[in-house]
Amino acid sequence: MSTAASLHQSRKRKNGVMMTLCVIAAGIGLAWLALILGALLYKGLAGVSLSVFTEMTPPPGDAGGLLNAIYGSIVMTIIGIIVGTPIGVLAGTYMAEYGRFSKLTTVVRFINDILLSAPSIIIGLFVYELMVRPMGHFSAIAGAVALAILVIPVVVRTTEDMLNLVPNALREAGTAIGAPRWVVIRSVAYRAALSGIVTGILLAIARISGETAPLLFTALNNQFWSSNLNAPMASLPVTIFQFALSPYEEWQQLAWTGALIITLTVLALSIFARSLTGRREDK
Amino acid sequence: MSQMLSPDMTIAAEAVTKAKIEVKNLNFYYGQSKALKDITLSLPERSVTAFIGPSGCGKSTLLRVFNRIYELYPKQTAEGQVLLDGQNILDRSQDLNLLRTKIGMVFQKPTPFPMSIYENIAFGVRLYEKISKAEMDGRVEQALKRAALWTEVKDKLNASGLSLSGGQQQRLCIARTVAVKPEVILLDEPASALDPLSTAKIEELIDELQADYTIVIVTHNMQQAARVSKQTAFMYLGELVEFDRTEKIFTSPREKRTQDYITGRFG
Amino acid sequence: MAEHTVAAFDEDLGQISRLISDMGDLAGSMVGGATKALLNSDNALAQRVVSDDAIMDARQRELDDRAITLIAKRQPMADDLRHVVGSIRMAGDLERIGDLAKNIAKRVGTVGLSATPRDLSHSIDAMAQLVLIQVQGVIEEYAARDAAALAKLRADDERIDVKYTSVFRELLTYMMEDPRNITACTHLLFCAKNLERIGDHVTNIAENAYYVLTGTQLPANRPKQDETAMSAPAA
Repeated sequence: MSTAASLHQSRKRKNGVMMTLCVIAAGIGLAWLALILGALLYKGLAGVSLSVFTEMTPPPGDAGGLLNAIYGSIVMTIIGIIVGTPIGVLAGTYMAEYGRFSKLTTVVRFINDILLSAPSIIIGLFVYELMVRPMGHFSAIAGAVALAILVIPVVVRTTEDMLNLVPNALREAGTAIGAPRWVVIRSVAYRAALSGIVTGILLAIARISGETAPLLFTALNNQFWSSNLNAPMASLPVTIFQFALSPYEEWQQLAWTGALIITLTVLALSIFARSLTGRREDK
Repeated sequence: MSQMLSPDMTIAAEAVTKAKIEVKNLNFYYGQSKALKDITLSLPERSVTAFIGPSGCGKSTLLRVFNRIYELYPKQTAEGQVLLDGQNILDRSQDLNLLRTKIGMVFQKPTPFPMSIYENIAFGVRLYEKISKAEMDGRVEQALKRAALWTEVKDKLNASGLSLSGGQQQRLCIARTVAVKPEVILLDEPASALDPLSTAKIEELIDELQADYTIVIVTHNMQQAARVSKQTAFMYLGELVEFDRTEKIFTSPREKRTQDYITGRFG
Repeated sequence: MAEHTVAAFDEDLGQISRLISDMGDLAGSMVGGATKALLNSDNALAQRVVSDDAIMDARQRELDDRAITLIAKRQPMADDLRHVVGSIRMAGDLERIGDLAKNIAKRVGTVGLSATPRDLSHSIDAMAQLVLIQVQGVIEEYAARDAAALAKLRADDERIDVKYTSVFRELLTYMMEDPRNITACTHLLFCAKNLERIGDHVTNIAENAYYVLTGTQLPANRPKQDETAMSAPAA
């Protein structure tokens, strides 16, 4: 009896120690996050004004905005998504539906996982060699392609995972009613997995909208308004990179503001994605 | 009385009705392992046939051969003959989608498609028929009435099929199957996930449907098999042990293995 | 027979079997006691038979309860189902046998006073022996699960019927000889009829037992030669 009681006591003690350690670790992690967000809000909000969204990036010493950078980011992200998403969704569909039991799927999944965790700077270098050097100059289109390459593995993975979550019984039911394979995929499997796939795409947008490295080698930067896809184009991350390292106070302020804009956009996308999956789980 | 029953797997009493499905020397393999061993039996038209047996006896496998749904998966192969109105459906030339419009299937768990109640039914119809909106409305109503679901859903046809209760979902699946006007309906443990009242409704439905369809039901619930079917096949370890009139199987089966199974003396 | 996965099922079925066998034994002893009391004018024995009938009735009610509960709880199938339903019906026949034996026992007082002719009591004794063999036989063969013996036993009822016909004729003769015999002979006629009825119930039990054991019914019509129905008006 007393041994049991003392055992119970010692377990309780150990449990207490472990729990304290875990809480401290979690606290440290959260503290850094809070500090970063706090600094960002403190420094970034100071520079938020209408001119940020209406004026071009200024020359050193002048006041200005981030309009061309925001525009560039949006354009290249949209093109990246438009190019990357169909490829990703189709590849994911192949893996989850047509090629579910094939060796190729295993190989593709392995390679895709490597691509998923590959440093984005390597993607940048790759596109630089592939497009920028042959073309002889940096261009927005090269930047979009680099982003698209980043989008593909994310979308492939989520599409495959979400389609795999669709119960086989549903596929069998569609097949049993006489629907051909592609109709079952289109009308049954996609519908059932829709919110999951959309979430994956949103996460991909969140990921590429903050990428700097691949754009440095491809779209470079542009201090002026440019909507020419065949020319260098500004983007928020690269502008932040450049302005933050500069000695000029106005530029540094704009860098903080740009960082805040990206962070809030990504946060909004993440929350939206979360709400989509959340609604799915409620059912 | 016993002498009147022919000893082979045909049923003398049912000889007047013609066979809808005839299975001849059917073997089925999951990869290397043999799941069905030389099955021969014939299912009479417009009548309910039940397959019973312990888990893994091959009853569901046999059902899944009838619409070749097993072909969704690799390494599953069938050998022998399954004749639907005399046509071997295991022929490689058999159009699978066409076959499946003739042989409908309802699964263990309700599987409404992620779309509205109306669309759930229209979906299958639309695959092979081009009909006007008015005609489609009629078809949907007719199918839902057939499945005894109409009065419960007529005011919410645009609601998601997933919003229905389990029993209603299963009846929706039956309505969906009936809507494409099949000749045979395969039921794979259709009531095993339902409460007794929903089960009773499904059984009532089966009873009504057998006037127009050839029905094959796989069930773990022996009482259910006894209640709904005209003839019952007992399967064990991939073999067809006994196939006879249902009342014969449940009152005085010929085989000891059948007897042991239905009286609860297994294992 | 293999055991059920649910052991309590076997116990429930066993209790029903025991009740049938108890009732069968009781029926045998009641029929034996009643005829013995009749032939020896033993009023005390007759009284015991009468009181045994209450036990028989109680047993039948218990069996009904158990059988119905078992059906509700366990949904028996195939041989189990035949066993339970067959037992209910056999219990009904056994209970009727008890009633008929009691009816014979009740007549002992009335018949006993007037001396019965020796030949006649011999005939009734012989008939009673045949019936007793049938009653005991049917319970034994059922317990031994011997379907063939049951089929034969059912056919043997014919011997009782034939015997009954001859007892019937004898009694008529005695009554015509001496009208003072009429009261006693009428009672004896009822006793003989009761014995014949007991034979019929045994036949029913044999048919039920046969179905329980084999799952098939014996042919509906058994060759019958009971002529009393035809010969009685003529005689």
